[in-house]
Amino acid sequence: MSSNSIKLLTGNSHPELAKRVADRLGVELLDMSVFKYSNQETSVIMRESVRDEDVFILQTTCPGEDLNDHLMELLIIAKACKTASARRITAIMPNFPYARQDKKDKSRAPISAKLVANMIQRSGCDHVITMDLHASQIQGFFDVPVDNLYAEPLTLRYIRENFDYKNAVIVSPDAGGAKRATALADRLDLNFALIHKERSRPNEVSRMTLVGDVKDKIAILVDDMADTCGTLCKAADVLMESGAKEVVAIVTHGILSGDACEKVSNSKLSRLVVTDTVPHEDKKKRCPKIDTIDVAPTIAEACRRTHNGESVSFLFSHVMV
Amino acid sequence: MVRNIVVLGGSSHPELAHMICQQLGIPNGRITLSKFAVGETRVEIQDSVRGKDVFVIQSGCGRVNDHLIELLITISACKTASAKRVTAVLPHFPYSRQSDIPYNKTGAPLAKPSKQGSKDFTFESRPVTPGPHPEQHGPAFTHGGLERELSRLAIERSNDGGVNGIAGTNGRNPNASIPGTPLRRTNTMESLNGLANGSGRASAMGGSANGFGSDYAPTRANTGYKQWVAQAGTLVADLLTCAGADHIITMDLHDPQYQGFFDIPVDNLYGRPLLQRWIRYNIPDYQNAVIVSPDAGGAKRATAIADALGIEFALIHKERRPTRITERQNATMMLVGELRGKVAILVDDMADTSNTITRAAKLLKTKGGATKVYALVTHGVFSGDAIERINASALDKVICTNTVPQDEHRRWCPKLQVLPVHDVFAEAIRRVHHGESISVLFRNE
Repeated sequence: MSSNSIKLLTGNSHPELAKRVADRLGVELLDMSVFKYSNQETSVIMRESVRDEDVFILQTTCPGEDLNDHLMELLIIAKACKTASARRITAIMPNFPYARQDKKDKSRAPISAKLVANMIQRSGCDHVITMDLHASQIQGFFDVPVDNLYAEPLTLRYIRENFDYKNAVIVSPDAGGAKRATALADRLDLNFALIHKERSRPNEVSRMTLVGDVKDKIAILVDDMADTCGTLCKAADVLMESGAKEVVAIVTHGILSGDACEKVSNSKLSRLVVTDTVPHEDKKKRCPKIDTIDVAPTIAEACRRTHNGESVSFLFSHVMV
Repeated sequence: MVRNIVVLGGSSHPELAHMICQQLGIPNGRITLSKFAVGETRVEIQDSVRGKDVFVIQSGCGRVNDHLIELLITISACKTASAKRVTAVLPHFPYSRQSDIPYNKTGAPLAKPSKQGSKDFTFESRPVTPGPHPEQHGPAFTHGGLERELSRLAIERSNDGGVNGIAGTNGRNPNASIPGTPLRRTNTMESLNGLANGSGRASAMGGSANGFGSDYAPTRANTGYKQWVAQAGTLVADLLTCAGADHIITMDLHDPQYQGFFDIPVDNLYGRPLLQRWIRYNIPDYQNAVIVSPDAGGAKRATAIADALGIEFALIHKERRPTRITERQNATMMLVGELRGKVAILVDDMADTSNTITRAAKLLKTKGGATKVYALVTHGVFSGDAIERINASALDKVICTNTVPQDEHRRWCPKLQVLPVHDVFAEAIRRVHHGESISVLFRNE
């Protein structure tokens, strides 16, 4: 009789998170190597059986040169598990790659998010767990179940514990994030403001106008992703000009690519709070304003519930301690 | 001039794409390839592809994964932009050698593991590589004996702290071992860290092959589990189909069976005519030369050339059976065939680390008595320290095609000569586009 237990695997994208998830689950990471040959082809060696086991592969998107390597690692690991007769393969992608290339916004633009979804399914994944998808419609790109976890409960707790939140205003830095921000404002029973921006080119921001009142309040900027931080820093300027007492930002995915750290350091933001869906230990050293929320408990609980066939929706509103 | 066709070149080999376009008499398809700040690949196609026959040229070299994903995104973008047909042209097919298990022929891993653990070599041991290991366990691992053997090993391990000298079997969290498993698992993190800091990831690629940290030593599968190596080959085939490729054109696939992984047509072109022509016109008195295959796997390829040229053939055989205790770590190479006083022409499909061909060259000169040794390969990947190895080797000349960019290699290797393949690919593209037979390209001279 086979045991069918949780087997947690990971690539090279975020070993620390994987280790913490494994510790929460009380399992060891599977004994395996993910490496490159000298011709730069990725290879995977597994030294333990996964036959008839419940396999979870944790691989996030780590910004930088190796992003595509990490994606290929995930696909190759999934394929290896599939051919090694795993019972079920779940890809845990805390930060979904290519999530912003999700629509054909101009002629011949690729819908890369759809392609990534297809590739993940083709590699043999039966289930996907992710967090705060840039657009929740990406779930529809998959034919397999996708659990889109929310960082919102974690964010709520952080705001309650760290700020004088009664005197705060939740601000969305763009119209697209208004829904996320209003949901948060409602839960905290706070006021809400919005910054309208006009974007001329990707990774660049032009003009901004504030809608709402932030005078003498703590402005909490909320977004799903901080990439180059151009938006956040400009938004902080606008908010300070509008008389905010303090500006902080809470984002789920702290991608912080390019010179984001320096931008944040020199900006009017007093704090940037990110979750560790993306590794950023080195960036914290460069920018002391960054603070981290640990998502490992949420992910571990999602794994456990998925494995045991329990409902995951509890995690949409509650924080694991 | 070919109509209604768009040829897009990937960033792996823009020169080849440009030469193919010139040969076809069409302008290069306008495409912008870059990366977003986060590292995601960005593809913008400026030319309309609606209703067109699109060819995307991307070779599997350099940063293989980046180029592969760029190719997949481009194919998918063309497909969603209503291209009539999208053909992926992969002069050198990425991951084509990983289709077979075990992957231990020439593909030396980026890193060599430490020598630790060599003390427990058994008679059947091979040099340690992170590739799959032969099972050390003899007949003790028959049914029923397994449990006993496992518990014995577990005791041994806890006594001496790790069979292979891995830093402890498990440094942390002693309560975490899974119930029912007598062994603790080795710490993956440590080997991963070793990989990350030792190899320096992409940056160290051109450098030494000695990348892994010393704490990376592959554990033997002492749970009785034979290591499982991913078959990335089928995966790449799947990914290309799922991105929307309708047709594949490639050259000299390592395994001809690879074609069977696809549900779409695959045209596998041959580099052989080019190599044959080179031999005919560049080796004086080639009739007296001998074609040599550096391993048994390539014998078929080499005999085909030997037959076509009507010259003799020899084979280098890797002796796996250890004859003497001192020899067992390296497989001994044996030359089968006679070439004393003759010119030897090594033929293979691919030179990656060039370990095989340089060692073969040494053998041919020292033991075989060849006057000159040429190496002819289709795909000159030359990764790791291949170029230095060739420069220092007994090879007199290395001839490869430009399925992979060779400018950089040529600069450092005076022995290297490059044959252009753009005309073969251009002709294949033209014929595929017009629906003509391409088997004429397979015909030998």
